[in-house]
Amino acid sequence: MSTTTGKAAEPAKVQAGPGTTSPAAGPKGSRRRRKPSMGVQNMAGWLFSTPFLVLFLVFMAVPIIATLVMSFTDFGLRNVTHPLDANFIGFENYTKLFSDEKFLKSLFNTAYFVVVGVPLTILLGLVVAVLLNNGIDRARTFFRVGFYAPVVTTIVAVAVVWRFVLDPSDGLVAGLFSEVGLTAPDFLGSETLAMPSMIAMAVWRNVGTVMVLFIAGLQAIPTEVREAARLDGANVWQEFKGITVPLLRPTLLYATVITTIGYLNVFEEPFVMTQGGPSDSTLTVSLNMYREGFNFFHMGYASAMAYVLFVVIMGITVLQLRLLKDNTK
Amino acid sequence: MSRTARNASTGIGIAVVLALGLTACGSSGGDDVAADKKQTLTVWAMGAEGEKLADVAKVYEKANPNITVKVTPVGWDVAHQKLVSAAAAGTMPDVAQMGGSYMGEFSELGVLEPVDTKTFQKKDFFPAGWKQGEVDGQAYGVPWYVDTRVLYYRTDLAEKAGITKAPTNWKEMQDLATAYQKKAGTKWGLSIQPSGLDTVQNFYSFLYSAGGEIVNDKGEAVIDSPEAVKALKEYGSYFDKGLSNKSIPPGYDVVKDFGNGRVPMFFGGPWHVTLLNEGQPQLKGKWAVAAVPADKSSTSMAGGSSLVISKDSEHKAAATKFIQYLTDTKGQADWYKRTKDLPANTAAWTSGALADDADLQIFKKQMDTAKSSPSLPNLSEITDKVDQAIAKVTQGKASAEDALKTAQSEIEGLVK
Repeated sequence: MSTTTGKAAEPAKVQAGPGTTSPAAGPKGSRRRRKPSMGVQNMAGWLFSTPFLVLFLVFMAVPIIATLVMSFTDFGLRNVTHPLDANFIGFENYTKLFSDEKFLKSLFNTAYFVVVGVPLTILLGLVVAVLLNNGIDRARTFFRVGFYAPVVTTIVAVAVVWRFVLDPSDGLVAGLFSEVGLTAPDFLGSETLAMPSMIAMAVWRNVGTVMVLFIAGLQAIPTEVREAARLDGANVWQEFKGITVPLLRPTLLYATVITTIGYLNVFEEPFVMTQGGPSDSTLTVSLNMYREGFNFFHMGYASAMAYVLFVVIMGITVLQLRLLKDNTK
Repeated sequence: MSRTARNASTGIGIAVVLALGLTACGSSGGDDVAADKKQTLTVWAMGAEGEKLADVAKVYEKANPNITVKVTPVGWDVAHQKLVSAAAAGTMPDVAQMGGSYMGEFSELGVLEPVDTKTFQKKDFFPAGWKQGEVDGQAYGVPWYVDTRVLYYRTDLAEKAGITKAPTNWKEMQDLATAYQKKAGTKWGLSIQPSGLDTVQNFYSFLYSAGGEIVNDKGEAVIDSPEAVKALKEYGSYFDKGLSNKSIPPGYDVVKDFGNGRVPMFFGGPWHVTLLNEGQPQLKGKWAVAAVPADKSSTSMAGGSSLVISKDSEHKAAATKFIQYLTDTKGQADWYKRTKDLPANTAAWTSGALADDADLQIFKKQMDTAKSSPSLPNLSEITDKVDQAIAKVTQGKASAEDALKTAQSEIEGLVK
């Protein structure tokens, strides 16, 4: 059920789909004159979106609603074959969540992951993008691919490599430590270090995505603006602060929002690297939800968790949009 | 960053099936097709078994031309979810392989056909193997193959440490672990899992040998018994004394460390014999297996798989005949040859490699007394509580008494 939320966070984006096909045709004044063909055009729009709409309804809307309904029931293992036997228990799942130490811990861990991980990812992504866009000329493609490669690598392969890197007895980092006469700590086995290690891995893995967005944003900045700034005697830092950053703000907003949503849903990293351990120190909300749902079959409870996560994600996204957008005005 | 896509599809799949109310059960047992009619049997088996079973099916088809056996191999990692989805949608295969830990759950779902105890008799199988297929005294699965854990240890390094015989009790095992580390220079003394999913599987050898259990025959939680406390104390002492590694990552390969001598002892299943022979050929003659070192007794855990028939199947007669073929003496010996899975049928052990190989006889002996986990619908949740208790002790967070007391109260709430 981890995922139902993952998806639940997105309908805002997706629902725009059908909307854009019909009313969006309206505002364009020139089209409005051709009244008779409007209906046909509308029809065609709906027709073309039908495959999507059907898939959306069956695989997104129905499960999303089903999850909401389920979150008010005690849906458990037995109900997999007898779904109608589940009892409505009102908000019991929700109230139980907030006295569930494990859930609170997973909420804390997720917050930790987001609060540390998102700024790091955005900052590094921006730095790398700026460097690649201005600095290196020859090996630019090589570096772009290098930074983007982790994004497209499957998480299992990534996990194998990182486990080797972080292995306390014969890993790469342990080797570096012993070069200078130190003993490497057990990164993934320590309650205090497991989360930072996982954040490091996630940042490494996601900087590429952000970098690509920023490179696109940077290249959209007209060269005349830069040239004008230079003519006025701006130095590199002034140019960056006065031109690059403000003009990049829409990209920054988008990158921050999607990275935050992604990180709030973090599942694969703890799933393959630590299984949430040691002692639940890397147990995230999504992983907790997956376990409650698919290991223990507390589907009702897991659904409630999904909706709490959904509300958190929506709240944070709205907040981010407000904060970052208002600044531009 | 849509990272959970695959799990999403399973979750959503289940949700959709439920939401649309497509849970209409297949036709009930009334219109069962006779065994000698022309028909197709659908069979699901997991992992390597799934692939090997297709070969056996071909042999079976030759002898029974009216039957077509369609084997679908299912990966272990997705097996549970696939079976649950199938149960929800009413599309279970006629015959399925099922791990002992699933049994309670699926009988609760009401999708399993009770075993025909006239055809399959309890006395032909290892007691623990049979018990695995039972829920509340009713058999739902016919034991197909069994496994149990025994102690693997490096004989060459033991000699270097001045010990020439296998450890037979807890004290000797700890002495050997210490000697390995002190005198033979190994990094660790014994590899046991400190925390994480299914840590309890390593702990069973201690728990059962001390005479403890998680849930007793009456269905009461008894994990805070003095026996269990004693077992967990012993287990924890390996970590206290630095004989065992406090942190083992998921996916850790003990065979590799056994090969390079970093880990000279571990509890392993029958498949480790093949892994060692094939993966660490340089070790030949330098290791041996021994029965689980005893406290009150030498009792190991029993695992393995059973074969079940779906309640909705229309081919129950043919399915029964096919399972009979797989679980009789001949079929079991043949299966061992193909897979090295240990036969659940004890008669299969009386001839050939199974009777002559001394190492295999250790497995047989261990299997005679091994215990299987109770078949409870929420078993994974219950063992998860024990996993947590073990982790607290191995990480030095709590005493065995306190950790088990907590687990006891949590498990009491789960067994009703």
